[in-house]
Amino acid sequence: MKLYDVCIIGSGAAGGVMAKELSEGGAKVILLEAGQEVDPSQFLSHKWPYQLPYRGLRGEKQALFYPKDIAPVRYEHCDPVGVDRIRVLGGRTLHWNAVTLRYAARDFRQGLLDGVDEDWPLSYAELEPYYDRIEQIIGVCGNDDHLEILPGGKHYLPPLPWRCSEHILGRTLKKLGIPLIDVRKALNTRPYDNRPPCHYCGHCMDGCDAAAIFTTPDCMLPKARATGNFTLRTNAIAREIRADREGQARAVSFVDRLTKKEEEVRARIFVVCCATVESARLLLNSRSPQHPAGLGNSNGVIGRYLHGHLGGGMHIYLAELEGVKPFNQDGATDHTYIPRYNQLFGKADYAGGWGIQVNFASYMFPYQAHDMAGYGPAFKERVRKMQPGFLFFGSFGKILARPDNYVTVDPNQVDEYGIPVPVVRFRFGRNDYALWRALKQSMLEIASNLKGTSFPHFGNSPGGFGSHEVGTIRMGKNPKTSALNSFCQSRDVKNLFVTDGSCFTASSEKNPTLTILALSLRAADYIKEQRRRGEL
Amino acid sequence: MKRRTAIKVVALSTLSSIPAAGQGFRVLGVAWDAGEYRLRFFTGQENELLDKLMEMIIPADAHSPGAQEARVSLFADLMVATSGDHVKEQWRKGLRLMREEAARSSLAGALAKAAAGEKRKPSSDLERFFTALKGMTVDGYYTSAIGIHQDLQYQGNTYLASFPGCQFPKLAD
Repeated sequence: MKLYDVCIIGSGAAGGVMAKELSEGGAKVILLEAGQEVDPSQFLSHKWPYQLPYRGLRGEKQALFYPKDIAPVRYEHCDPVGVDRIRVLGGRTLHWNAVTLRYAARDFRQGLLDGVDEDWPLSYAELEPYYDRIEQIIGVCGNDDHLEILPGGKHYLPPLPWRCSEHILGRTLKKLGIPLIDVRKALNTRPYDNRPPCHYCGHCMDGCDAAAIFTTPDCMLPKARATGNFTLRTNAIAREIRADREGQARAVSFVDRLTKKEEEVRARIFVVCCATVESARLLLNSRSPQHPAGLGNSNGVIGRYLHGHLGGGMHIYLAELEGVKPFNQDGATDHTYIPRYNQLFGKADYAGGWGIQVNFASYMFPYQAHDMAGYGPAFKERVRKMQPGFLFFGSFGKILARPDNYVTVDPNQVDEYGIPVPVVRFRFGRNDYALWRALKQSMLEIASNLKGTSFPHFGNSPGGFGSHEVGTIRMGKNPKTSALNSFCQSRDVKNLFVTDGSCFTASSEKNPTLTILALSLRAADYIKEQRRRGEL
Repeated sequence: MKRRTAIKVVALSTLSSIPAAGQGFRVLGVAWDAGEYRLRFFTGQENELLDKLMEMIIPADAHSPGAQEARVSLFADLMVATSGDHVKEQWRKGLRLMREEAARSSLAGALAKAAAGEKRKPSSDLERFFTALKGMTVDGYYTSAIGIHQDLQYQGNTYLASFPGCQFPKLAD
């Protein structure tokens, strides 16, 4: 059986950059992906709702990314949170809005500065060169806004022009002392990386058929393939990673979704990039005499510290744009971003903050028709006249990393491939509730300063994650409360790395993908160096 | 997707050939696979009532056609037919309650009574049904070609060489 240098499991942001870097570094790499490869010609991005069976209201546009044979997550004793179940070549890079934000220096030191969470085992200064590199690899539009809370780079593509609603919002926020900046997005606003620029159709989340948004298949895999060192296996569902007598990772067993055959891949190094819940599931299912609690889990940390983002949204219909002749506002969904600002207004009675994404909802559907009372001719006319003034806020706030929020597996409940399913247990804590209340109050205050009609969507309690879950196989300084060192390397299993969001020590309010990419790039450099030295 | 529910996309130019309600039809840019849509859940009588109610919620006016011409009741039939038993039961019962209420007053009176709970928490089955009815009407109408193109006159979902930004000088900085 062939022995690869490196086996990467999962082809999302983390797996993609790892595959490119290690293939280019001369390693023989195999990448396993549970989902299928979907050619962009199959994307339904530009279909009208009435061209879809259920008008797109049942996820038809993304159906190819979410195959039905994926086992459901079982939620037990859980507050309302959802974890992403995407299974496709490219993972969430096919179904994302591409907002790419650097963590601030303070986000790595929340234990020291805020007395919550643990400090990361690396600093912003150590990760900064990787942020610089990855932004140049993937192409990010925006600006260095010289904000301490949101550090910037030096190589941005041109920012996106602002819509009228964003100019109105910017003026209002300025009066409140809150910044509004050009969004930073992994989006081509000019040709870059042999990929074309955005065509402003507003379908960033439906799969970008033009490859203007960064995805693993469009950006990373062509470079990996060009080396001649790269092998891809799609429809390969990892069952477990097997260990040798010394407890080192030896092989990964997987099921081919199409043939249902059990297969195995042997490699010298394994990099797990299946996303927060699935990566923990895989390691917890990888039990052996050497690793009775799961691979690399001698301290019982794997699965614990599940966290991510909480949030709420708001639809606002600006009076200044009411009744104007409809015009095309689609653009590239977000064009602006409200970076964390609560730290500008004194110390709060909770730790952490939130940022607000602006206008990442579709301009096609009049959401206010669901929120407004009434019916009949006046209702219909009001809906129509309000529509040009649409402005959308989507907030993401920090959740603390706590060990009692965790993922485990249930050997008594298996999916159709016989693999134990993940079980998620999550409760918001006191700090999370306090932050959510402050977030809600602040967004309502912003809305009250805008002339128009607003429809808050907060519910009665926080909702969580928004595909931003992190933290189940965390890196850390303390060997008792972490599974990985700062290079995403398992403390127990030297040839095992985990570079997706599960490696986060603690989260901030920033979207995690750029940090996942930077950490994976840094881990790739480390692996290359260790291989050169003969350590791996 | 089952063969029976499969739809084939046809050119928007077929919009001019929409036949009368209740007949085999091409609807709003899509052609049903069988050439005509057959009700899958509602009875003909129920569909007739639903069609009237939805038109009262989003009526035709001088600006654009309403829910009836957009065939929203048939969209509702597909959605309910492919939902769980609880949803089916709510719709069947809801339409029955509407019919009974209309018999006591009028259809307009029944709809007004059902909508009374909208500004507070709905407190009766009739009021709860209105929430579902209005939601389905909104979803069906504003995802139809009539709703998107004729009523809202939505200008997007297209390919632009560049994005112009705000075109109202008074609003842009």
